[in-house]
Amino acid sequence: MDIDLTFEQLVRDHQDMVFRTLLRLTGSREHVDDLAQDVFLRLYRALPSFRGEALITTYLYRITVNVAQDEWKRRRRDDRPLVSLSDEGSSWEDRLQHPSRNAEQQIEEHEFQQTVEEQLQLLSQIERSVLVLYHQEERTYEQISVALGLPIGTVRTHLHRGRKKLREALQQRQTNERRALCETNRSTASARL
Amino acid sequence: MRDEPFNRQRSTVTDIDQLTRLDQRLIHALERAPEPQVPVDFAARVARLLPATRPIAVTATHYGYYAMVVSMVLLLAALLLLAPHAADRSVFGLTLQWLLCAQFIGLVVWLSSRRRAGLST
Repeated sequence: MDIDLTFEQLVRDHQDMVFRTLLRLTGSREHVDDLAQDVFLRLYRALPSFRGEALITTYLYRITVNVAQDEWKRRRRDDRPLVSLSDEGSSWEDRLQHPSRNAEQQIEEHEFQQTVEEQLQLLSQIERSVLVLYHQEERTYEQISVALGLPIGTVRTHLHRGRKKLREALQQRQTNERRALCETNRSTASARL
Repeated sequence: MRDEPFNRQRSTVTDIDQLTRLDQRLIHALERAPEPQVPVDFAARVARLLPATRPIAVTATHYGYYAMVVSMVLLLAALLLLAPHAADRSVFGLTLQWLLCAQFIGLVVWLSSRRRAGLST
């Protein structure tokens, strides 16, 4: 049985996922529209060699990761500074905050999220892609392995290595902040004396 | 001084606690997906950019079905080839023939049920 889908419907069904993944992979809202457009145009060109409906999401993830990697290469060539997701206009973290939390907790949570986003952008492309596909997109090892064309063992290694790097960076940052706070307190105390 | 091992143990527990909490916060932060702002006319805009002549169809393949049909033909051929030798009534020959026969019937039943299910949907 042939299943005919209009391409517009296909775009509508998957556009949220593509935008979401691109946002996290590139770390910026800049040009996301153009990049998403590029993803779907590449998908369209690749459709004749596409086999079966079940793999379309995996196919799209692969194209999305490739487009994000191309964008990273382009940025490196242009030597443009990264714009953080949270620095721009309406940050998505603001909209996700829980109403019952107090202001201090919200600020702390916001800062933590921002730090994670920053550190995520410092990882290698492959580690970032694996982390985003696993944690944000909730893909299995097998699906990530197919989408990125890597053995499952390598996917696991990148996932653990990426998480370890993030954890270490966050720990380092927390230690630095604590040290800075101690020094400030000490200097305040000595100024009082 | 006597409290030292206890303190050390307590600080290790606190460290582990902090690490676990940090891990949980990290996972939570990673799982939090950004909310994309997709332009309302995005899909239409992409559709307009496509070359007009190309037909777009996502076709389901039937490799499994064809493999089953080929297997049935092969089984039938094997059954027909073995039939003349069944006259000597050796245990091996009869067992093999019954086995092939059962496989053939199984495939026919499975294929016909699939076909009926496909027609009904």
